[in-house]
Amino acid sequence: MNRKVLVAGLVVTLPLVGLMLMSLGRDSHKVESPLLGRQAPPFSLRPIGGGAPVTLESLRGKTVVVNFWATWCVPCVDEHPVLTAAPQRYGSDVVFLGVVYEDEEPNVQSFLREHGAAYPSLVDEGGKVSIAYGIYGVPETYFIAPDGTIVSKYVGPLRPDLLDGFVQEAQARAGTRRSDAR
Amino acid sequence: MTASLGRALILLALLAASAGALVGFAAGVRRSAAGLAWAQRLAYVYAAAMVSANLLMVYALLARDFSVGYVAQVGSLEVPNWVAVTSLWSSLEGSILFWGLMLGLYVLGATWTNRHRHPESMPWAIGVWLACAAFFSFLIAGPAQPFHTIPIPPSDGPGPNPLLQNHVLMIIHPPFLYAGYVGMTIPFGMAAAALLSGRLGPDFMRSLRTWLMLPWVFLTCAIVLGGWWAYEVLGWGGYWSWDPVENASLLPWLTATAAVHSAILVERKGILKGWTVTLILASYLLTVLGTFMTRSGVFNSVHSFTQSAIGPTILVFLALATLFAVAILAMRIDRLSPEGHLEPGVSRDMAFLLNNLFFVLLTFTVLIGTVFPLVVEAVRGVQMSVGRPYFDRMVVPIGVALLFLLGVGPALPWGRASPEQARRALLPPLGGAVGLGALGLALGVRSPWTLVALLFGGYAAFVTFSELWLPVGQRIKVRGEGVLEAVAHVQSRGRRRVAAFIVHAGMVLVMIAIATSSTQGRTIEAQLVRGESVALGPYTLTFLGVDRVSEPHREALVANVEVKKGGRDLGVLTPRMNYYATQREPVGTPAVRSTYAHDLYLSVLNLDAQGQTLGLHAMINPMIVWIWIATGIMGLGGLFGLLPTRRVAVAPAPAMAVEGSLSPARSR
Repeated sequence: MNRKVLVAGLVVTLPLVGLMLMSLGRDSHKVESPLLGRQAPPFSLRPIGGGAPVTLESLRGKTVVVNFWATWCVPCVDEHPVLTAAPQRYGSDVVFLGVVYEDEEPNVQSFLREHGAAYPSLVDEGGKVSIAYGIYGVPETYFIAPDGTIVSKYVGPLRPDLLDGFVQEAQARAGTRRSDAR
Repeated sequence: MTASLGRALILLALLAASAGALVGFAAGVRRSAAGLAWAQRLAYVYAAAMVSANLLMVYALLARDFSVGYVAQVGSLEVPNWVAVTSLWSSLEGSILFWGLMLGLYVLGATWTNRHRHPESMPWAIGVWLACAAFFSFLIAGPAQPFHTIPIPPSDGPGPNPLLQNHVLMIIHPPFLYAGYVGMTIPFGMAAAALLSGRLGPDFMRSLRTWLMLPWVFLTCAIVLGGWWAYEVLGWGGYWSWDPVENASLLPWLTATAAVHSAILVERKGILKGWTVTLILASYLLTVLGTFMTRSGVFNSVHSFTQSAIGPTILVFLALATLFAVAILAMRIDRLSPEGHLEPGVSRDMAFLLNNLFFVLLTFTVLIGTVFPLVVEAVRGVQMSVGRPYFDRMVVPIGVALLFLLGVGPALPWGRASPEQARRALLPPLGGAVGLGALGLALGVRSPWTLVALLFGGYAAFVTFSELWLPVGQRIKVRGEGVLEAVAHVQSRGRRRVAAFIVHAGMVLVMIAIATSSTQGRTIEAQLVRGESVALGPYTLTFLGVDRVSEPHREALVANVEVKKGGRDLGVLTPRMNYYATQREPVGTPAVRSTYAHDLYLSVLNLDAQGQTLGLHAMINPMIVWIWIATGIMGLGGLFGLLPTRRVAVAPAPAMAVEGSLSPARSR
């Protein structure tokens, strides 16, 4: 046994592996977006299956969670139960909206019939809203404070604990309205 | 049905690899020839299962069988067949499956070519390869299963990521990268085998070096192909940005390059055995680190796969492989006793040593720059990034030092050189240095680093070409052979040496081109109204107008820019702005007009929808083409060195001495 080699090897490699281990908890999914702290781009979209258009402006005073998703996206399907279970927990102060991203309406309808829906999923004709929100890939979720500013953006499937954290963050923002929000 | 068959094949691969690893290690411990034979068979089974699983996936992709999970995820009825095939490696699960294919082919090749050789080391080597293979099979079977069954298949899928579809380089870059990364498993296993068997003779070292060179060639090409893609597609005019994922591919290349050199000292002098083995082990560990960095989501990069649950699993593998490597090094390194010693003084040997020192220094420099943001975030909780200035300031001097060695090293004789010998060897190439330096000065080079690079580059070019020419010239003079005949003889006798200098020639050219292109370019940014012109160097660029193009996945605004040089019409370049539905911001595609002297590179900064004004970013990038050409030279040179020589230079394989047990003749 060559102790010098052992010690040198461990000294070089252990901190590196340790650093990677610590960084695993790091969430590069919580993405910086130029929209953070800004007013959420307004939209008025027709829900899947018909009904009156949902207008973001009309939801002022409530915390809004906007989830961009598609039926063909495997992680979206994974997070679907987390999202459908959520509205019940939060009550009427938190509004959940799905925005369907690059998908066919019949696919979405049959998916929602099968897996259940707890909040409206909106049709984004031509992907205009997705572009306005800078959607990079699905799922992406935006958390909008009652004053209409975007508080955080999450890329990837949400877990219940993450969702709670983001919603609370957005709700807390109600008291500390940012002056630069226009 | 297809999905179940796929899962069965992956399971078979996992079983064969796990069993083969155990059998290999057992055969290594007990030196059992029968055990080795079984390990070989299991290696073939593993390879066959992986090849079949990949063929099955390709079949499913082509048949648009959306009941297979991966096909439902990346397949589409609309994409052409070649996109369908290449989407095998366009997304996470498929790329890990493809990784398995590469590993299968490598294990097959390395097991087969060494089937009658190195019986004391091969059981260990096969054991280590298959242990790695077992891990990746486990990944495919579990966390990254591409063959899960979709009970109610969708009628169509979304198709692969559009960003990966827009350029042919993005299709061929990943296979090269995987061939480079995965291939490092083979030298890793052989280096571990050298430690475990306690033997690293010249014969085994030669086999090892061959299997190190092959992935080295692929990795070299992959790194440059990645840069080329960035240059042609991303539109910022550069080919390297010190992005963590780019660095991840560079790190194992640096250590592997060092190992390729120190391996020569092992072969020739029987020294630096432990060091060489360490470099090879490190090269593989760095490829695993690179894989972790791209797949874990720890680093945010344009290159990484976004969603990935396999990060922790790869980290566990990285930790285990690292512990394994450190443990066998500590336990066995003393057995690899040197058979010679390094004489102090000015010699080629010493240049090799310095070369290794600089490559390792470079590795640590890049590694520290890459992980430093993580350290800062872990310690202070703030996000930061290490920018270009750090890398440029640190890497350029070391790179220049290596360029110096690239000239001086091969000029020096082996062993200690007398002052007279050293003078005779070192003085003539100064002509090359002065020549290239003067040429640079005449062409307007004023940056000190670039001038130094040109001086050293000229020196190295002189040495390289005279080393290539010298034996040919001698044959012509002494034996009166014709040029072609002499070249044919020289390349067949000393193929590896010739190949090495071809690679060096490519490397010299790459370094000169990098130094020139990164300091001697010219850039302008201009706002042009329709019909307006701007001058850049010898060119006059006129904005003619905008075309609107609709493509299935994107809308694009294409700017038409007329290029004239001294009144001569060179045609219209069309940089464009693409609007993907799936992208945050519009993605520009530059237009490049390449010549041997320089590239004219145009990209769109902004463009109004009416096509009245264009914000144009125009660059003259000197010598860029030579980076791609020289990399081709390096790749071909490397492959050329791997061709079997007519005169087999390898010692006869030691026969399996006794039935059922290996030759006990081992140097302890």
